[in-house]
Amino acid sequence: MNEVNDDKLAVAAKRLATEISPERDLWPGILGAIEAPRRGRWTPMLAQAAAVVLLIGASSAVTYITVKGQQGPVTQVTPELLFEQTSFGSRYNLGPGFQDARSTLAAQLDVQLARLSPESRADIKVNLELVQGAIFEINAALEQEPDNALLQGKLLSAYYEELSVLRRVGGLTRNVMMRNDI
Amino acid sequence: MAALLTAISSDYSRDMISTTSDLVTGEAAWVRQAQRSDSQAFESLYRLHVDKVYGLCLRMTGNVSEAEDCTQDAFIQAWNQLGKFRGDSAFATWLHRIAVNTVLGRIRKSKRERERLQAVTDTSLAPLATNDTGELSDLSAAVDRLPDGARHAFILHAVYGYTHDEAGSMLGIAAGTSKAQVHRARRLLVQQLKEQGFEA
Repeated sequence: MNEVNDDKLAVAAKRLATEISPERDLWPGILGAIEAPRRGRWTPMLAQAAAVVLLIGASSAVTYITVKGQQGPVTQVTPELLFEQTSFGSRYNLGPGFQDARSTLAAQLDVQLARLSPESRADIKVNLELVQGAIFEINAALEQEPDNALLQGKLLSAYYEELSVLRRVGGLTRNVMMRNDI
Repeated sequence: MAALLTAISSDYSRDMISTTSDLVTGEAAWVRQAQRSDSQAFESLYRLHVDKVYGLCLRMTGNVSEAEDCTQDAFIQAWNQLGKFRGDSAFATWLHRIAVNTVLGRIRKSKRERERLQAVTDTSLAPLATNDTGELSDLSAAVDRLPDGARHAFILHAVYGYTHDEAGSMLGIAAGTSKAQVHRARRLLVQQLKEQGFEA
């Protein structure tokens, strides 16, 4: 290799194009990637935070209200709480034992609520709706991350809490929900 | 007439300086906005730099599809690491460094996969869709045929104008190794181009 060739090569190399336009627009793929983790990261975190806060609050409130409500006048009420079909993300189902217990307790709830004061009934309704809201949020997050064990645990806790509330309101003690029911 | 030309030339220069200055100011603002998770500002940065990043990826990988993937990965990495950008270097240099790391990472990964699968792949490459014409196109093709190490150092130093210190830092090698790789690349290129009757 001689010097002339080397110099000419250096000059030619500097003339090679450094800016080349891609044949297709790459931005949509980038946007999809940078937007997706933002949703994926925050939804489960918010769901978990909401679930923890709501469950603690609902648990304490229902215990207090149920005890207080025992002294209230008995009145007839129409069913107000609707129980959605249980779900566990898109890939798993809750066991039939849990489904039966939940259905039984939900059916008895209106009778039990009738013994409480209107104020207590309203409070329990609000708290049960909060728990069910948390279940909905965690389920939505599980749709995105079906195998997230932390979310599964949170959802299981939320369902357990719902069942616990129903049991406390109705005075039932049967504990039928197990981890291997899933 | 001469005065007119001088005036036009002067105005043109002022416009150019003003445009460049506006671009730099705009880029700095976009970086700040993107650091606050503004994806529209980041898209502006993408539009401003994509040709250079894609060009670098294409030169380094020698493959259109790989270059597209690397470009996307590099911008995604840049988005994720924007909080770390303090403006110590130009944004373009910072972005180039990420692009080079992305290319090297993908090459290492694909080498591992090839070794694991023991697959026989066709390494012949289609001519790249660059803007090079005539003999530069021959040079471009010859660069693509260089071994990885020599090609990467040559592209960063001889084509993109990085010093051996900068190129070595980007490639994770010593400056002396970068110099040796560029020397090797030149020797191989001259050899290849002589065979093709290249008269650069």
